[in-house]
Amino acid sequence: MNHKINRVVIVGGGTAGWLSAGIIAAEHCIGTKTSSPENPFQLTLVESPDIATIGVGEGTWPSMRSTLQKMGISETDFFRECSASFKQGTLFKGWRAGADDIYTHPFTPPQGYTEVNLAPHWQTAREQINFAQAVSPQSALFTDKLAPKQISTPEYAFNVNYGYHLDAAKFAEFLRKHCVEKLGVTHIKANVTGINSADNGDIASIATDSHGTIEGELFIDCSGSRALLIGEHFGIPVCSKSDILFNNTALAAQIPYTHENDPIESCTLSTAQSAGWIWEIGLPTRRGIGHVYSSDHNTEERASEELLAYIASTVSEQAAAAATLRKVKFSPGHRAKFWHKNCVAIGMSAGFIEPLEASALVLVELSAAMIAEQLPANRQIMDLVAKRFNDKFLYRWDRIIEFLKLHYILTQRRDTEYWRDNCESSSVPEQLVDLLALWRHQSPWHRDNNNVDDMFPSASFQYVIYGMDFETMPSQTQRRSELAERQRAGALFQENATRTKQLQTSLPSNRDLINKIYTFGFQKI
Amino acid sequence: MSNYTILNNNVHKDLRVNTMRSAEYGDNIMYTMTFPMEFRDIQSCYPIFFCKDPESGQLYPAALLGFEQDQNLFLSDSGWDATYIPLMVRRHPFLIGFQADPDGAEGATKPVVSIDSDSPRLIEASGDDSQEGEALFKQDGTPSDFLQTSIGTLESIHRGLEHNKGFIAALLEHELLESFSLEITLNDGSNNQLMGFYTIAEEKLQSLDGETLAKFNTQGYLQSIYMAIASFARLRPMIDKKNAQLG
Repeated sequence: MNHKINRVVIVGGGTAGWLSAGIIAAEHCIGTKTSSPENPFQLTLVESPDIATIGVGEGTWPSMRSTLQKMGISETDFFRECSASFKQGTLFKGWRAGADDIYTHPFTPPQGYTEVNLAPHWQTAREQINFAQAVSPQSALFTDKLAPKQISTPEYAFNVNYGYHLDAAKFAEFLRKHCVEKLGVTHIKANVTGINSADNGDIASIATDSHGTIEGELFIDCSGSRALLIGEHFGIPVCSKSDILFNNTALAAQIPYTHENDPIESCTLSTAQSAGWIWEIGLPTRRGIGHVYSSDHNTEERASEELLAYIASTVSEQAAAAATLRKVKFSPGHRAKFWHKNCVAIGMSAGFIEPLEASALVLVELSAAMIAEQLPANRQIMDLVAKRFNDKFLYRWDRIIEFLKLHYILTQRRDTEYWRDNCESSSVPEQLVDLLALWRHQSPWHRDNNNVDDMFPSASFQYVIYGMDFETMPSQTQRRSELAERQRAGALFQENATRTKQLQTSLPSNRDLINKIYTFGFQKI
Repeated sequence: MSNYTILNNNVHKDLRVNTMRSAEYGDNIMYTMTFPMEFRDIQSCYPIFFCKDPESGQLYPAALLGFEQDQNLFLSDSGWDATYIPLMVRRHPFLIGFQADPDGAEGATKPVVSIDSDSPRLIEASGDDSQEGEALFKQDGTPSDFLQTSIGTLESIHRGLEHNKGFIAALLEHELLESFSLEITLNDGSNNQLMGFYTIAEEKLQSLDGETLAKFNTQGYLQSIYMAIASFARLRPMIDKKNAQLG
């Protein structure tokens, strides 16, 4: 029971597999030159040569910047090789009223966020200016399709916070090269043909068709929705969340730009439909456009029509006519636990929900980072780490599910059964009901984030609820602090307006900056 | 705005150039690009820092002339008050342009002398015997001594730009540059903050291994690095100059 944990085996090579490999390898310095008898740690990734990775355009959170930086990746190389672009948040259309209504969720928290809560002060001006624009420059910047920084800004640094849009297939290949060449990860191309158990029920080794058996002390299941280890072998069930989040089908298309130098969106566009929503992700090379919907509320035929109509109106009739749609079905939910015996599930083997708010990659980053940080010293303490891991990630999944559900329940739309069902109280998690009751009388702020494992900062709740026209009642009592706070708030609104103008004139367009990265690259300083 | 055209002894035969130093002619600049080959002269007059080209983000060495935009503390009513004037200042109104080289491989270019036809330095002399400024061409159409010198300046800049590339790449590779900001408090209590500049990271420099130092020595970079460090001493006289102007 006291076996040391020296050999980690990752099964599956998509973005989840290679991102996990990179994060763990970077921490445990197993670079080919540094491995030694004193550091016997080995990381092996087994990837089927036959299974293609799902290469959709994907969004990341700002956390990806430090994840890449820690792995020793040059941001310039990342942009050049992964068709990456800047993402500064999300622009929601039609979610409130099903018309041209728009709101935004930028990555930058409101001006002076730690000092004064601007939300109550904005309430009195809500008819004049929308919340996001009043408190942060970012939504104006991405509405203008501007970049979040300049070419003279050092790599990974910013004028306003950002994450990325990227080509997932290219990203996996880019990470593979970095992991193998720089971080000393062993890459085996083989199909897993069987799983050999130890006496205690652990996985002792996996059998492969072309590389014999591969032994290990810890196995990471990145085999995607197939869930080879956590699902097929261990039979850990999936907790379905389809009673809360209805979307279970996606139709995806890749649409070329009409002109090579067309502007690139610097946020994700999310446009509500009759029974779901359409995403649009701008990469330098193409737009990724897709429709995610509930098959219980819509037919594939109708969903395709809506998607093609969107492409026709936002790109062109020709683009819609030429589009090929790829269908992906999924069951929203997550494993009852993610770490079982000596096996951890990361990525789609752990769970999958609709891509609203792009939580897929950040969960991979967080999972791998926790394994890297708390890599159990021996088998005995592994169960303790596993329990912590499971508690933490079950909590995180619940928070994500609540936050996604929040997007649906404040709508004024009653035009289809889908929107009406979404607002049925039986489909809303209890904690979310409580939060909304609270927010009627006090706006979200720091006090709402009392757990380090909260996935979304309270600022995100503000952007969504006030974007969706939610009203918080004014305070019932006069407060001593009110006057000073109101003055400070006024100054912050003014600062924000000034800063917005400054940034609008000094920042290049998203397309221009990406072209400059191709030509000159970012400086490290 | 600048409007560069290729210099031509026919079109430009009567053109003269005013070489006076003054804000009127665009000399009111806060800093200017410099090159290791002139560091020895530069460091005797100006502090050498590094900054980024806003269009490309690329770093280059610069001689500091003032503490704020459009301020050149070395300009006075009687001209440029220093023993050495940077190459990039002396080049005006000329620039190296590139045109397709018919004798070279496809896509090859060769450097040519261009002139900024919108430069306030230009005087259209139209054949009279005005002696203001410097003539570009002699009566027979051959370059004047002034033009010869200017071409020499352009050639030095051309070599300097190449030299800068290697120098900066070496500094970056060994992490020898660090960003710095400098707060200058003047006698009247006002603060000038210099931001967006970089300087030699002396701690990193002190920990360089012998092999790298030997390489830098052969390449001439070592001398340039120490001249840049020594040039810091020129900040004090600049502050004094500014204080003297305040009275």
